[in-house]
Amino acid sequence: MAENRLLDVVDVHQSYGEERVLEGISFEMDRQDVKVLVGPSGSGKSTMLRCINRLTDIDEGEIALDGESIYDMNQNDLRRQVGMVFQDFNLFAHLTALENVTLGLKRVRDMSEPDAVEKAARQLESVGLREQANSYPAELSGGQKQRVGIARALAMDPKLMLFDEPTSALDPELIGEVLEVMRDLAEEGMTMLVVTHEMGFARQAATDVLFLEDGELVEQGPPDQLFEAPEQDRTRDFLGRLTSLHGDQ
Amino acid sequence: MDSVFLSAQPLGDWEFVWQQRQFFVEGTRIAVELTFYSIVLGFILGLPAGVVEAYGGPYSKGVVRPVGVAIRGTPILVIIAITYFAFGVSPAFLAATLALGVRSAAYQSQIFRGAIESVEGGQMEAARAVGLSKLDAIRHVVLPQALRRSVPGFQNEFTIVLKDTSIAYAIGVAELLKRSYDLFSLQTSAALEVFLAASLIYFVLTFSVNRGIEVLNDRVAIPGGNY
Repeated sequence: MAENRLLDVVDVHQSYGEERVLEGISFEMDRQDVKVLVGPSGSGKSTMLRCINRLTDIDEGEIALDGESIYDMNQNDLRRQVGMVFQDFNLFAHLTALENVTLGLKRVRDMSEPDAVEKAARQLESVGLREQANSYPAELSGGQKQRVGIARALAMDPKLMLFDEPTSALDPELIGEVLEVMRDLAEEGMTMLVVTHEMGFARQAATDVLFLEDGELVEQGPPDQLFEAPEQDRTRDFLGRLTSLHGDQ
Repeated sequence: MDSVFLSAQPLGDWEFVWQQRQFFVEGTRIAVELTFYSIVLGFILGLPAGVVEAYGGPYSKGVVRPVGVAIRGTPILVIIAITYFAFGVSPAFLAATLALGVRSAAYQSQIFRGAIESVEGGQMEAARAVGLSKLDAIRHVVLPQALRRSVPGFQNEFTIVLKDTSIAYAIGVAELLKRSYDLFSLQTSAALEVFLAASLIYFVLTFSVNRGIEVLNDRVAIPGGNY
């Protein structure tokens, strides 16, 4: 059990100045888990993700990757092991799709140029973007950009992938291609922590769904249980509001 | 009668300017050299200063900022005088280059700071998330974009430095304007012609460099624009 454990989040508190964002969050992830964080905006979902690769520091509590506190690890080393995909893609605007992927390989993993290019090309191919390798971000569609973003993170061979609302900035017709890549990734056994409003993805791909509200983890469980028979009233209210907004998915 | 009048004026004034063209060429060369070295020095000092102003900690900012404000707030004539007379830098050409260069650094630091701050925060964040150190992120992600965005700012900066090289005349550097004064005292009737000629030279220099900067700007543009 212990050696299958990848991530421990223990009683994490976080605040921006006076504003308390996370108020004692605890959960854990085993290897190959796909956990989806849902909850109203401002509930602390994105902050929770950002704490795990230390883009945001926590006030209290403990986060451990592979049994080691992330605060005992070299920061850049931690980030190499934890891939992150952003809502706004954040592709390096002055670099081609290929160069977006090779930069980290060369600068962080010290790979030679030919090795980095070869690996990056394979990674782009795996997200269906072989043709676009030499395109610049501004020349790509939103869905293509996000797939480059995923390839960029995957190329570092992370142990854990964090997705921060990866489809929220996309036109509806482009969401599918990104979710498909994510579903493939989940099937290949990647450990993933995903913040998303795509309940369809949560149902299909998640091992667990975590419902956050006001900085607290209200409830967690397998998607069937959480969506069909939530134990907490707050979860039910939230799901009810979602359904009335989006229709039943 | 006519011939007597003409003989009192051995040369037409434009003819006088043409005859002295070598003198203008030499003055132009000095003005261009002063401008070039000052801009280069300004770049070497101004780029790190801009990076510090954008990313520095309280201490490094605490030094760089006030120094920049002080330099930008001091008239160039005073900076040149201090360099030459107080610090005793010589020859005068070197003193003028240092003074103009340091002042240009103070201006350029603001071009770079503005350009760096215009690069979306997500770029730095994504670079850090991949595992790049802050320095590597600045060097490989932020600066390549910021430098591109700073190119148009050099149209102003170049024009300012070029025209301010004329102040070097205060410490005896024989640049273009100083020479115009000398020529005009040689043939006072040619004042207008001499200064028009000097202005034309300044204009041609400014115009061509500004065009050059526009070409450079197009050349380094990111394909598809910034997204």
